[in-house]
Amino acid sequence: MKCPKHVVEMIHKYLDGDLHEDEGRELKKHLQSCEDCKAHYQELEKAVAFVKSISHVEAPADFTQKVLEKLPKEKRTVSTRR
Amino acid sequence: MEEFINKKIKQIKKGDQNAFAEVVELYKDKIFQLCYRMLGNVHEAEDIAQEAFIRVYMNIHSFDMNKKFSTWIYRIATNLSIDRIRKKKPDYYLDAEVAGTDGLTMYSQVSSDIAMPEKEVEAIELQETIQKEILKLPDKYRSVIVLRYIEELSLQEIAEILELPVGTVKTRIHRGREALRKQLRHL
Repeated sequence: MKCPKHVVEMIHKYLDGDLHEDEGRELKKHLQSCEDCKAHYQELEKAVAFVKSISHVEAPADFTQKVLEKLPKEKRTVSTRR
Repeated sequence: MEEFINKKIKQIKKGDQNAFAEVVELYKDKIFQLCYRMLGNVHEAEDIAQEAFIRVYMNIHSFDMNKKFSTWIYRIATNLSIDRIRKKKPDYYLDAEVAGTDGLTMYSQVSSDIAMPEKEVEAIELQETIQKEILKLPDKYRSVIVLRYIEELSLQEIAEILELPVGTVKTRIHRGREALRKQLRHL
């Protein structure tokens, strides 16, 4: 049996924190009885967890210096000139 | 935080480059990370992130201090990243092959000297795979996924950054998540 499209929509609403309490109960009940939708939900959760897991990168150490060097020259001299 | 930033912006408007340097220091990692995850290449990310800050400096007079500064800089960096993605479209597939391999390159350099524990190698490879899959997303889905799950911004903030209704942002996140689900489920 094909599950109603609104189950997937409910899963996404749940992942966005937009699901109402009664909808939450309906979704939970459905996931307990439907393997396909349960797998779909778990795969979505897994995909999100993977994306969140990639470690945070930092800007190169000389980043700020390089940005400052690229600022227009005439404006730089204004602040240093007496 | 907003108060501090507004004070700095007033100083930048007067031409104070030290105040500007402080603002760059504060946001450089977030902006570099956004560009890196959008573009998958350290050099391009550095280039675009630098450009974003230079635009901030050049356009500081047009910034409305009643608005959130971080939203503005995120918008500039996101738009520049998307422009860059679109410009490199012709060789997109070629790029996709090599993009996001910085970690692996780093690893292969390291491996000749020190043997890395297998678990660490696996962790790096997994990260590379995830980055590659993010890079396969069309730019409109890639930007919302990166802003939501890597920069950890709220749906409302993302809507303001992209100047889109929250509903549109949600639709794009749903589609981005579905695409990633299919791409990552075998892992």
